[in-house]
Amino acid sequence: MAVKAVEDLNHVTAILVVHDGAKWLPEVVASLTSQNRPVDQMLAVDTGSIDSSVALVKGAKIPVLSLDRESGFGDAIWAAIQTLPTPTSPENEWLWILHDDCAMHPDALNKLLEALADKPQAVMAGPKLLGWRDKSHLLEIGVSIASDGARWTGLEPHEYDQGQHDGVRDVLAVSTAGALVRRDAFVELGGFDPNLSLFRDDVDFGWRARVAGHSVIAVSDAKGFHAQAAASERRSADVKEAFLHRPLLLDRRNAAYVLLANSSWWMLPWVVLQLLGSATARAVGYLLAKLPGYASDELLALATLVIHPREIASARKFRKSHRLLSARAVKEFIPHRRHQLRAASERLIDSIRNTLLPSVSETSTALEPLNEDEDLLTPGTSGRWWTIFKQPKALTGFAMLILIAIWSRHRYGSLVGGALVQTPEGARDLWRMYFESWHQIGMGTDQGSPSWLAVVALGSTILFGKANLFITLLFFFAPLIFMLASFRLFSKITSHNWLRVMASFLYAISPVAIASINSGRIGTIVTLILLPYIGLLIRDWLTIENSTWRKIFLLSLILALSFAFSMQVFLYLLIATVIISTIDFVRYGNIKFFHERLLRRATLVLAPLLVNIPWSFSVLLDPKNLFLEPGLTIAGGGPNFALLSNPGGSGALPWWSISPLSLVLLVALFSSSKARVISYFGSGALGAAVIIGSLSFSGHGNSSPVRSWIGSLIAIATICSITCGVLILDRIREVLVVTNFHFRHILAGLLVVITTLYSISTISWLVTAGAGSAVRATHSKVLPPFLGIEDGVKTIVLRQIKSYDVTSLQYFIARGHDVLLSEPDIAPDEAPAIANAIKEIADGSGISASRVLGRYGIQYVFAKSPLNKEVVRTIDGLGGFVRSSATSAGVVWKVNNAYHRINFIDLNGKISEIPSTSVGTRTQIYALGSILLTDSYSGSWKIFQNGSMLERTKDVNGFPQFEVKEPGEISLLHDGTTRRGFLSLQFILLVTLIVLAAPAGRKRREMSEGDLT
Amino acid sequence: MKARRFFIVVLTLGALIGASNSLSGSISREQYSLSYPSVLCPPTLSALSSQISLGSRNTKIHRVGSTSAKFVKSRALRIPIPSDPVLVDAQGITPIVWQSRTGSWAGGTICSDPAASQWFVGGSADITSRGKLFLVNSGLSESVADVYIWSGSAPATAKAISIKANSYQSLGLDSLAPGESSIVVRVVSRSGRLNAFIVDERGKGLRTLGGDLVSPGIAPSKQIYIPAIPLQQKIKNAPPQQLRLLAPGDVDANVSVEIISGDGRFTPVGFDDIILKKGQVMNFPISPAVNSSVYGIKINSDEPIVAGVFANVGKDFVWSSSVPALTPFTIALTGMSPLLVFVGKSINVEIELSVASGKKLSKTIKGSDIAFWRVPGDARNLTFLRISGETYAAALQKSVNGFGSIPLVAGSVLSKSAIPSANIRVLNP
Repeated sequence: MAVKAVEDLNHVTAILVVHDGAKWLPEVVASLTSQNRPVDQMLAVDTGSIDSSVALVKGAKIPVLSLDRESGFGDAIWAAIQTLPTPTSPENEWLWILHDDCAMHPDALNKLLEALADKPQAVMAGPKLLGWRDKSHLLEIGVSIASDGARWTGLEPHEYDQGQHDGVRDVLAVSTAGALVRRDAFVELGGFDPNLSLFRDDVDFGWRARVAGHSVIAVSDAKGFHAQAAASERRSADVKEAFLHRPLLLDRRNAAYVLLANSSWWMLPWVVLQLLGSATARAVGYLLAKLPGYASDELLALATLVIHPREIASARKFRKSHRLLSARAVKEFIPHRRHQLRAASERLIDSIRNTLLPSVSETSTALEPLNEDEDLLTPGTSGRWWTIFKQPKALTGFAMLILIAIWSRHRYGSLVGGALVQTPEGARDLWRMYFESWHQIGMGTDQGSPSWLAVVALGSTILFGKANLFITLLFFFAPLIFMLASFRLFSKITSHNWLRVMASFLYAISPVAIASINSGRIGTIVTLILLPYIGLLIRDWLTIENSTWRKIFLLSLILALSFAFSMQVFLYLLIATVIISTIDFVRYGNIKFFHERLLRRATLVLAPLLVNIPWSFSVLLDPKNLFLEPGLTIAGGGPNFALLSNPGGSGALPWWSISPLSLVLLVALFSSSKARVISYFGSGALGAAVIIGSLSFSGHGNSSPVRSWIGSLIAIATICSITCGVLILDRIREVLVVTNFHFRHILAGLLVVITTLYSISTISWLVTAGAGSAVRATHSKVLPPFLGIEDGVKTIVLRQIKSYDVTSLQYFIARGHDVLLSEPDIAPDEAPAIANAIKEIADGSGISASRVLGRYGIQYVFAKSPLNKEVVRTIDGLGGFVRSSATSAGVVWKVNNAYHRINFIDLNGKISEIPSTSVGTRTQIYALGSILLTDSYSGSWKIFQNGSMLERTKDVNGFPQFEVKEPGEISLLHDGTTRRGFLSLQFILLVTLIVLAAPAGRKRREMSEGDLT
Repeated sequence: MKARRFFIVVLTLGALIGASNSLSGSISREQYSLSYPSVLCPPTLSALSSQISLGSRNTKIHRVGSTSAKFVKSRALRIPIPSDPVLVDAQGITPIVWQSRTGSWAGGTICSDPAASQWFVGGSADITSRGKLFLVNSGLSESVADVYIWSGSAPATAKAISIKANSYQSLGLDSLAPGESSIVVRVVSRSGRLNAFIVDERGKGLRTLGGDLVSPGIAPSKQIYIPAIPLQQKIKNAPPQQLRLLAPGDVDANVSVEIISGDGRFTPVGFDDIILKKGQVMNFPISPAVNSSVYGIKINSDEPIVAGVFANVGKDFVWSSSVPALTPFTIALTGMSPLLVFVGKSINVEIELSVASGKKLSKTIKGSDIAFWRVPGDARNLTFLRISGETYAAALQKSVNGFGSIPLVAGSVLSKSAIPSANIRVLNP
């Protein structure tokens, strides 16, 4: 003791706060009593423990001070100090604050005191806190608070302690668990804020100490092992401020309190905004994770503060009285926003990576023989870079990239052609098109844009608004995506590496994949991407009652995406559901699991449909659209092509490149394995494709029926066929190895030969003729630039189009620009009067054609080159058309006396133009008369004048007309309330489905100790 | 079990193929509109008389220049027409126009629908010329015509002439290539519903030297037939018959001419290897020593050329034009009794003739090299039903005022136009 008196004048009083900590107390007490530098005095404060904590402490001969259960941590410390004798040497009197769930290293106190001795200005020192269970898990080494209230340790999640943060560091604050604080400073600063009975009292105290001119240090040589029982909800928060006894609520409330009480005045608005924003964002995140309790904690925490503004005011007043330095003195300890963003993005990326690319534990079938002669101390040499190509997946992927580069050599740029139309400049245009209630296509339409447009807009937004880039990348890398997506599915079916790689390669160069890329079918491309994932989730379709609802909703979400791009998938699923449910009913009757199956299958059919409203409803109201895919209506190849699993049409593989897909489906029908069940689904899809492929439909802005495109149905048949092939070959492989030569060898050989021949012929075609398909990068336009100057001006475009090897004259009304993405899907039907006028122009009998066109507001007729000279001469001779220009692009005529888009007709019948924006207008009217809009009639056209709505009627041509009874300013608009309402409903349904499909987050108290660390 | 399954699969597959292909075949994709565009008959120079033979009394006509857009019924099978051109809703029966100057000349041609390009081999622009080029715009928008003129000495020239809607212009041939005695005219319609006609009328002082309507010939070709050339016995001071040729291309042409007559086929001396200079109108006197009064010629060339034959008949002269191969069509012949001349290796033409009594007579004309048939005087409409291949025909009509050659070419042609369909695809590059 004499030695100690000479060397160490410090007097340390350990204050152990106990609250239902019996689980950890034995170790905590043991760690206290085994300190290398013994504690001078010990005192335990029990805050109403109901377990054996008090008995344990008393058993260790530690005096206990009892308080009520609702007493906070700060109250407990303050009460303990009141019982201590008056210090004789205040600068050497230390309080060692201890939690009942934090055991200290035997050398902890010694190291803390040593560090404090070296830093006389420091009044508080904290240890390096490590995990209770995993003692290498670094929890804290000093602590701060982020501007959004998050507890900031500067550490990565689950950071392993390798001494990387060791040393004595100045910090904003240290955790109260194991903190050594000078008693006089503690008392001078008023101790812990009684408003922070639990959580964040440490940061608050550190902040106050800092602005009072003191230092706080973290000492890594001193170690503590903290169970974080309150934060991890291992015990309830029973303090009186803990509204509803919810730890998270209390933590968030206290975090906000600390920021609001300590920040400078001018920073407060910004702090409030950040707190509100981050709380909302976290609440949304918790909702998505199906943790509504945590979500409400986030918002309630702010509410509890808002309703007690005096609390903040008095706290700020108290701090002001003790402050010596500016609040900005702590700036260096508050993490920079850049660091916060980086940490948040890293967490997000980690989360996405873990979800999308779960670490697969590679199993090795044969152990590498151990070379005992090898020197184990010799550093292992990493393999050469080219050894990656020994992996079938990498090799085939590389080959696919080379194939794509050659096949798509005309696709380096903005793509147009086939069924694919021009993409607007940016994502903003796509979003605008999606939300708008009126579209300037043909004579105009109030048909809502399809749901798939929103998906493309979202993809474009992710690519910084580059819509063209998104479409180009999608088409360019589509084969590779097909391959990677299907590889995941086939990996679940077979362990044979080459078999699954070859199967995925075959999927990527299947006839439907090639045809869909070459002919610009974005719907089929997306379907081909999604089908392997659907296949992964729908594997237990026959016994679907065993699937969890989360899985059903996840599948519904993917199906919703699929339905958005191709309603053929919906049709197929609906029919399959009806057939299988009927079979189930016949086989099992009306029993419970039948109901469960029916309910789940019905969910899979209906939930995606609901998510796609209002588009899906409009499709159901016109069932012809079930057979149409996004883009222009370009003919498919018909039933005979479909039989070969080839959708045919423009850009499709020629007939002689026969794939083995249909043959495999046929063979699988006689299989005795699971392949037979899959082949039923594949054959069903193929049969439907053959029947529907033989039908012709008009639509999507094309009045002539064309043979339907059945790409999505063939895609289903394709994935089923290849899956069957993999299953059969995987099973037969083992049989072939161990049996003598018989018919199975011949069959397998034949299949391999046909597949090889198909692959060779297909690749040869792709790099030669197949590369010259309609879809290619181009900057050419149909409309001459001068016809696009006035937005919305109607121009009849006449053009010779080749279809079925026949060139015919076709027309459409342009509105100042070429056709854009999604516009074909909502293009209105032709007006009969216009159709008749065009017919009369073509056969030369249309003396009144110009009058009819003019009446419909068509200002120009443009005959695009090359065009039949007879037609040009006929138009020249018809009268009412005045040539405006004749260039290599074509001939333009102005229609005499044509109406404008918005016309004012006075009482004398004089017509004058009202300038318009792309949809409505706002202008002054000086006379009585009527306003005629030469766009299609819609109940949502409205004109407001002087606060009232003008009466809307239909004129003789069916156009909206409004009677103006007094001069004044008018405002013409297309009311999009209904559209917005439906889109809001769609958003709600989508979010609901996402929440239901998302993996549920776990409450901290539900996590195991291992998970927590 | 597997056999049963095999049976079901085969049956299903068969039914699928059958059903799908029958469904696929039952859909028609294209709709067509069939119509006969109105044909145009030429205007009439002052002091000329002009008649049009029509297929029916109900045939509707419309005078170009009229402010009314209406067509009215003709109410006669042969109608005199005033100075303005006339649009005829011929409905497949090609009308013939016959113009004459009393005691001086006569000539005829068919009324035809507008053409993008017309070649006229005939006419003169020298001091004797009183001929006219008529450009008729029967449409309701302004039309622009490009008139190209080739002559014997001057290089080819071109003029762009605009013609107002629903009107016509006449241009003196002497203004097109002043002083040139031999011209070839091509009229190209740059825009509008345009027809062109040439009246070649000549005179010397107060004395008329005859005239004729120059019918448009075929576009430049390496093989040309001129089926009906009247051959008159030589009379004193009469100019010889002349073959007018032009190689409008960029290189000279080597040409050979074959006479086709009742005496057989032969190439006259000096006509087996004519070198035709590019862009230069050349005339070659031709007086074949044959017994028949009508003959035809066949011209072979190594480069595309155009050709016509000038023939004197009494005080009048005739321009015989080249024609395309004869195709089935109907022509209105009321008031006329022409001599039909057919040339070809093996002629076999079935015709049907309606006469004034309402009867229909059938006739088959057969022959080799050349065949003739005189249409009865009470003829109304003549229909060529079936025609042997590579047969060419024209008609020669004689009247008190003169002689005319009428090419047997369908003027009112059924046009089959696909009804345009609305397709937004036209707005996609």
